[in-house]
Amino acid sequence: MTSPALELRDVEVVYERRGSERVRAVAGASLTVERGQIVGLVGESGCGKSSLARAAVGLVRPAGGSVLFEGRTVEPLTRRGRPRDLARLQMVFQNPYSSLNPRRKVGSQLADALDALDLAPRRGRRARVEELLELVGLPAAAAGRFPHQFSGGQRQRIAVARALAADPSVLVLDEPLASLDASAQAQLANLLVDLSRRLSLSLLLISHDLAIVRHVADVVSVMYLGVMVETGPTQPLWSIPLHPYTEALIGAVPKPDGRGELPDALPGEVPDPARPPAACRFHPRCPYAFDRCSREDPLMLEVAPGRNAACWLQTGEDPPAPPATRARRLSLPRVEG
Amino acid sequence: MSALLDVEGLRVRLPTPTGFATIVDGVDYQVEAAQVFGVAGESGSGKTISMLALLGLLPQGSVVEGRASFDGTDLLRLGKRQLRAVSGREIGMVFQDPMTSLHPMLSVGRQLTEHVRRHLGLGRAAAARRAEELLAQVRIPDPASALHAYPHQFSGGMRQRIAIAIALACGPRLLIADEPTTALDVTVQAGILRLLDRLRHEQELSVILITHDLAVMSSLADRVSIFYAGRVVESGPRPEVLQQPRHPYTRALLDALPHPEAARDTPLVAIKGTPPTPQQIPPGCPYHPRCAYAVDVCPVEDPPLAPVNGRRLACHVDPFR
Repeated sequence: MTSPALELRDVEVVYERRGSERVRAVAGASLTVERGQIVGLVGESGCGKSSLARAAVGLVRPAGGSVLFEGRTVEPLTRRGRPRDLARLQMVFQNPYSSLNPRRKVGSQLADALDALDLAPRRGRRARVEELLELVGLPAAAAGRFPHQFSGGQRQRIAVARALAADPSVLVLDEPLASLDASAQAQLANLLVDLSRRLSLSLLLISHDLAIVRHVADVVSVMYLGVMVETGPTQPLWSIPLHPYTEALIGAVPKPDGRGELPDALPGEVPDPARPPAACRFHPRCPYAFDRCSREDPLMLEVAPGRNAACWLQTGEDPPAPPATRARRLSLPRVEG
Repeated sequence: MSALLDVEGLRVRLPTPTGFATIVDGVDYQVEAAQVFGVAGESGSGKTISMLALLGLLPQGSVVEGRASFDGTDLLRLGKRQLRAVSGREIGMVFQDPMTSLHPMLSVGRQLTEHVRRHLGLGRAAAARRAEELLAQVRIPDPASALHAYPHQFSGGMRQRIAIAIALACGPRLLIADEPTTALDVTVQAGILRLLDRLRHEQELSVILITHDLAVMSSLADRVSIFYAGRVVESGPRPEVLQQPRHPYTRALLDALPHPEAARDTPLVAIKGTPPTPQQIPPGCPYHPRCAYAVDVCPVEDPPLAPVNGRRLACHVDPFR
């Protein structure tokens, strides 16, 4: 049996600073990316999804839990070079304006990645750079230009090409679409799906844009205040969300249908991660919370085949009703802004 | 009934190292009282510049032509002081990033009272009462203590609410909101959209909503204008334009969005190419190099924005009629 491409088990990320409180940005979160799978990770800002992404590639040292890349522990980055086989786990950052070097030509930035890993002999380098550019839909001539000569969408594709230079099997992308126009977003989203299918590349796509995640991901994980609240295959999760937070996130997405309907607002704010609410972390904002929610923390349990949720509504004492019946009960009241 | 704001033939040219660049090229629109007017288009289409021009906020040396009649006064003909007197009281503006539009070193109360003391001539105590009222209006919890807090002590959504409170301080009749929710989470965005909708109904506030997100526009705007390369290519009532787009560009913008009912693994339809820079606007219809429906006349003649059944459209072909 082969191990998953990327496996995070009960990962904790803690930030400490002298004179301020200890912040558990990720408070025990688990996530699995199977080989060739596209997993979307969604949640509001401050929920810890970027911290989790950084832990996944070894940019921060987890305070607890483990990160496994193809069955091997991901050691956090130190001043020494990282082990060779970990180079096949790559990351793409949110802002292609700051992740690319403005003073160097695109071609030489891509060649750097090849050199660092000795992946292409000197003579084959140029051909490989052109091949990488072609993979992301850019002309070979792009190698001779500087980052500022490209649009935001093109720059993000260059950043993807640079990650691809290491011949990765897993890409972790932290909000890669956030700073782009709709059309550029569509292009990049199509490209990512295409690359994943063609190169059997596994993707962990972190985004706060649920509409695009819904379109791209095979599986979606929903994170709230440092913990996972729901995981499931994209389509069923979208049509029948099992966790009230997932439901609220989906209800808040505006629709471009011209009908003039306002999206549903979720009351309250994401609490301070330094002082999370006791028991279920979502209960102060949850429209369905009952007394148990403020007393006991719900565990993530398989509610239906392949569907996991951490919610007392789904795993309460009363005999579990089929998810669809329960979901019908969940219809959020509109909250005035 | 005449419109609150009537803009006609607005042209803006900005100085660049290589000469003037035409950023806005003959834009017309009207905003009625208590109406939300949506302006959409890709980055660089001139949406923001056309608004800054009304408020006299363009860099020095810019050339602005046309007419912008606000309640009968042409804003473009006013001197600096007169413009400030009108725009400070009657027109509020909210920007994309509340972290940069709020002053980080001044308390929220100071930023709120400065405005009303200057333009409404209120005393210190009256201004503080007004500030508290404003914060309550945008649903900031515990407004009295929020007055003494600083912007960094609030979340992104709360900061945007504070920025809206400042824009509303003098009871303006028009609020220009430039990508007010782009930097926010969907849940927070929904709250801000609901807030704007409530203000529009409660205070008969007119809103110009600038956004590149057609879904945001769809949920709030009454009328919409689609900008491309400094021009309006299509405008009309929201349901008509978004449900039956007539311009190939409007249609393409909508097709690029992930649709909730679309089948899985159908690729999104991206618009080929990139929008032109102001220095290289193609001749004829500026959209023709990216347009799938272009015919011989498109690269030659610039189509006028002409009325067609209840909307206005600038397209020679009109393929979706």
